[in-house]
Amino acid sequence: MDRKKPDLQQEPLKNHPFGLPEGYFESFSERLHQRIKEEESSRVPVRKIGTVTRWLAMAAAILAAALITTSIIRFTTSNNGADGLYPDLALLEQQQVFNDDLYLYKLLDEESDELDEDEAFASQAIEYLAINDVEMDLIFE
Amino acid sequence: MPEWDDREIIKGFNTQGKEEIAFNQLVSKYQERLYWHIRKIVISHDDTDDVLQNTMIKVWRSLGNFRSESGLFTWLYRIATNEALSFLKQKKKKAFAPWVDVEEQMSENLEADPWFNGDEIQLKLQQAILKLPEKQRIVFNMKYFDQVKYVEMSKILGTSVGALKASYHHAVKKIESMLEED
Repeated sequence: MDRKKPDLQQEPLKNHPFGLPEGYFESFSERLHQRIKEEESSRVPVRKIGTVTRWLAMAAAILAAALITTSIIRFTTSNNGADGLYPDLALLEQQQVFNDDLYLYKLLDEESDELDEDEAFASQAIEYLAINDVEMDLIFE
Repeated sequence: MPEWDDREIIKGFNTQGKEEIAFNQLVSKYQERLYWHIRKIVISHDDTDDVLQNTMIKVWRSLGNFRSESGLFTWLYRIATNEALSFLKQKKKKAFAPWVDVEEQMSENLEADPWFNGDEIQLKLQQAILKLPEKQRIVFNMKYFDQVKYVEMSKILGTSVGALKASYHHAVKKIESMLEED
């Protein structure tokens, strides 16, 4: 039997078929602010500390930092001064910034492994054509 | 109040006392677009509402650190996409049994969803989209329903234009063949 090929280009199909409660967007902002307020008020309040305590804490922190630095320098020099033992702070910061995107990138990488051999070959071919500005529609039509 | 452009929103958010007004401007400007982007990934209205709120809360907390190289719209879409995918990942983790297919469940729930207004062919199309791998699903939705340009999509998803065209092409072929089978 000759079945009619489904036409994804027909306009009604391109309209998404979802609805939503009336006035949803009008009330969204208010509900959002309510949730932000609730979350911020449930956070542990910052404890105020006195001036003396603050100076003592600062002195302790400086002492600890000095001890750690000395230990690291001793450790690295006892290892023939090998490079790369100090953490690259800029890199760590960058890592933090892009941490949220990690899952997405991982997913995109993983899915390329899911392609079977034919799809992988087709993907490579399409990517090659796209890079070289070949009009894809001319090929796929 | 006239709508602020993106630069005004970012500037306002970094000006003491104007943060809330700037954030309100951002929410009112982008809430609908982000809602529909998320809705096509997580399908149910209630789940979309949760994900959209999470997205906006993340934006509220990090807009002060936003560096405008990528453009506000791209940045928001990227956060929304990440939030929607994380939501689905959590849903899979919480699934009653490891063999439960969350996408299959979403597909079944769609038929009884009071906020699904589509006809039979639209239902079939949505069910076919849900059978695609996540990446192809996102690319297909963005291109087919939202007509997002490949260059823009490439910035949002961090993938090359060629790979996106390939993904879209595979998605279209798979959907056509799934619709033909029914």
